[in-house]
Amino acid sequence: MAQNNFDRRRINGPEESFPPVFEGEDDIPDTLSGKPRAGRNPGDIRPIFLKAGLISQANGSAYIETARTKIACAVYGPRQSKTTVYSENGRLNVEVKFTPFSCTRRRAPIRDAEDRSVAAQIQQALLPAVRLDLLPKSTIDIFVTIIENDGIEGCIASGSVAASAALADAGIEMLGLVMSCAASTLGKEIWLDPTEKEAQAASGSLILAGMPALDTITSVWQSGRMTPAQAIQCMEVCQERFVDIHSIVAQALLDNAQVT
Amino acid sequence: MSSDLVLPGQPIPLPRGPVPQLAGGIYSRDGHVRASLVGVPRYEGSALAIPRTRPHPPSPDSTVLGFVSRLSPQQAVLSITVVDGVPLPPGEEFTGVIRVQDVRATEKDKVKIADCFRGGDVVKGLVISLGDARSYYVTTARNDLGVIFATSEAGVTMEPVSWQEMRCPRTGRIEKRKCAKPEGL
Repeated sequence: MAQNNFDRRRINGPEESFPPVFEGEDDIPDTLSGKPRAGRNPGDIRPIFLKAGLISQANGSAYIETARTKIACAVYGPRQSKTTVYSENGRLNVEVKFTPFSCTRRRAPIRDAEDRSVAAQIQQALLPAVRLDLLPKSTIDIFVTIIENDGIEGCIASGSVAASAALADAGIEMLGLVMSCAASTLGKEIWLDPTEKEAQAASGSLILAGMPALDTITSVWQSGRMTPAQAIQCMEVCQERFVDIHSIVAQALLDNAQVT
Repeated sequence: MSSDLVLPGQPIPLPRGPVPQLAGGIYSRDGHVRASLVGVPRYEGSALAIPRTRPHPPSPDSTVLGFVSRLSPQQAVLSITVVDGVPLPPGEEFTGVIRVQDVRATEKDKVKIADCFRGGDVVKGLVISLGDARSYYVTTARNDLGVIFATSEAGVTMEPVSWQEMRCPRTGRIEKRKCAKPEGL
């Protein structure tokens, strides 16, 4: 099996590897539910750093950092579609890549199912916002590189925000900026923007994406166990946070627009 | 109107009276006029628009520059590198096609593609339609459209002598091209 997807083009890591265990890490209990959240309030999100226009050769780009989640996003195009089918609307192509060192366990630099599901969710979040009817026969390529991963929910949410900022930086017409936020249910509490550990301990997670400027939702994704009432409550608290995230994105885009 | 930057989705304050014509970068939805680009809304004539200088794909009526990449008796294939005066990023060309009936406005049935274009010529054209799946249809049927830069067989930049001919300054030989009328004549 190892021989099957052996990657000849890159330097391969050892067949078996273990993440280093740091002193003091054992103190963190395995189960988090039932205990108050460490470090922040349940309704708090991690601080966000966002900068647009960092990748010079891309048409538009953005870099986002929320504590230990670090994502770079580049937008290329609109370029001519390579498919031989005529299409009245443009196409939005999202590709997600994990760096080999992004997770606790080394990731082989090959596309796998997780890359594609993250890409599909980011595309789903952005699709209603981009005015693809103005770009016949064209393709927009979005490349999301996850440099450090701290919870897949946070990656999808931050990736969507970064991609939307990069699209705005690229000068691609959008109905509004897309914001996204994740929430997890631990016991009876709802913890916003969960880390990897918190998401693992949670009974259910929800990722909400929407355009706060238009007061619309573009995508809802829920996994795990969650009652309908909890799901609705999650969506409400996520939507409240959109305003905060939007102000960060707006500031980053305005800063970038004034420089250029 | 203020000179403030707007973001995608942000409502644009309008003066009282009728809503102006909306051009690029602005859309109207549910009775609100909103921006769809980052920029400063300005009036371009009677239309309100957010001007952008970003590269964009060709659309009907846009002026394009490109070089001839392939020739056949029916058409000349153009690799479009400049759209509406904005150069595209390297490696992101669009493909255009000048069909034999779109080369010039008169005597269309006598046109021979080989007497109008050669490989490597830089051509100024006008997009007439989105064309088929592969290419945009481009026309040169206007005085100011056609070959604007060509090298002779000797490898020297040629100068136009008439709308159908170009001369090589080194050898003095005349080659046939569908020339564009130089600007400012």
